Amino acid sequence: MDESMTDAPGAQVKVTFTTTEADLQLPETKRQLLVPADIRRYGLSRVLNSESMLDTGSIPFDFLVNGHFLRTSLEDYLTSNGLSLETNLTLQYVRSLIPPVYEASF
Amino acid sequence: QTHLTEHDEQPLRDYAEALDMWTTFQTKTQTLSQSLSSQLRLILTPTQSTKLSGSFRTGKRLNIKKIIPYIASSYKRDKIWMRRAIPSKRAYQILLCVDDSSSMSDGNRSSSGRLALESLVMVARALTVLEAGQIGVLGFGTDVFVAHALTDPAPTSPHAGARLLQRFRFAQDTTDMVRLLRTTIDHFRDARLVQAAAPGGDELWQLALVMSDGLVQSRDHARLRPLLREAMEQRVMVVFIVMDDARDDARGHSVLELKEARFGQDGVPVIHRYLDSFPFPYYLIVHHLDDLPGALAALLRTWFAEVNS
Ligand SMILES: [Mg+2]
Repeated sequence: MDESMTDAPGAQVKVTFTTTEADLQLPETKRQLLVPADIRRYGLSRVLNSESMLDTGSIPFDFLVNGHFLRTSLEDYLTSNGLSLETNLTLQYVRSLIPPVYEASF
Repeated sequence: QTHLTEHDEQPLRDYAEALDMWTTFQTKTQTLSQSLSSQLRLILTPTQSTKLSGSFRTGKRLNIKKIIPYIASSYKRDKIWMRRAIPSKRAYQILLCVDDSSSMSDGNRSSSGRLALESLVMVARALTVLEAGQIGVLGFGTDVFVAHALTDPAPTSPHAGARLLQRFRFAQDTTDMVRLLRTTIDHFRDARLVQAAAPGGDELWQLALVMSDGLVQSRDHARLRPLLREAMEQRVMVVFIVMDDARDDARGHSVLELKEARFGQDGVPVIHRYLDSFPFPYYLIVHHLDDLPGALAALLRTWFAEVNS
């Protein structure tokens, strides 16, 4: 067992990534992922860009959840919509149209 | 003392719907259930006796009472050996623990709940036919509830079956596996005390089958390990049956493929395989109902071989 896995992480949410961008498709086996519940747009972007996912370096992504852009943490989104951590959230990712700005939190 | 919710605290599935489910599942799983019970009969029924008795020319141990007549008869009355003759009576207490959390539900685009209930019906029927011992059913999510007590008569009638299925709605909004294990161990400890007082309750085996989609918060994995050790020390066997969503339109949704992302101190995401930290030593992954009888029998066979060696 991996030693780094023994640190107790925070709460997690299961997400399913989808996209309509033909050049940014994930293989089927990588579309579902457990992510920290306090993750936001920037953190999700970093995950998607990572070597084990799209391996795309640093494309800024935006995420649509039920037709709305994600502007909070996933946990806050779930809470404000009366959903629990049991929910499997579908996140549609698109290339961000917003000019990149420095974000300290992810 | 662990908390068990009272029978009337939670809303129930519609009775007519539950009755329909019971009859449908029972018909659908009949052949598999028979297959499971015949496989389990070979495993759960002891083939080797622990008690020695009788008078034989060859055997396992000398019968001391026969030694003097043997010598007195100038070694003619030579049936002086005892053999294993009477198979010892084994008693079982089996708890079927079904995940009632909403990650199992249709609303969450998961077929795990349905697969779990079909499996529950199939396994409960197989064990009832075997008359292996007491069977109980627990539901768990945020709380743990008793859907069928170990001491209740086996749910053989469609009415009893429907009442059982009514309890499962897959609407609990957390999956507290720590609480389930704590409750299961305590429940078995109490049940053992009752059984030990009854005649013939000398060789009692306790088995918990957890039927779930396998989605437990990873932070609970470390908290589950000491409980699994405690269960082992109490001679409670815990088998985790992962009800894996494997519909044709759910490709890539298998828990086998599931990864998790964590951020290190440097903010760099690291991706791990979810099952790598899964703490249950005995688990099997079931994609289709047809997989279950063979897989469960194989796992139990291995386990019995291990404890008997
Ligand atoms: Mg769950």
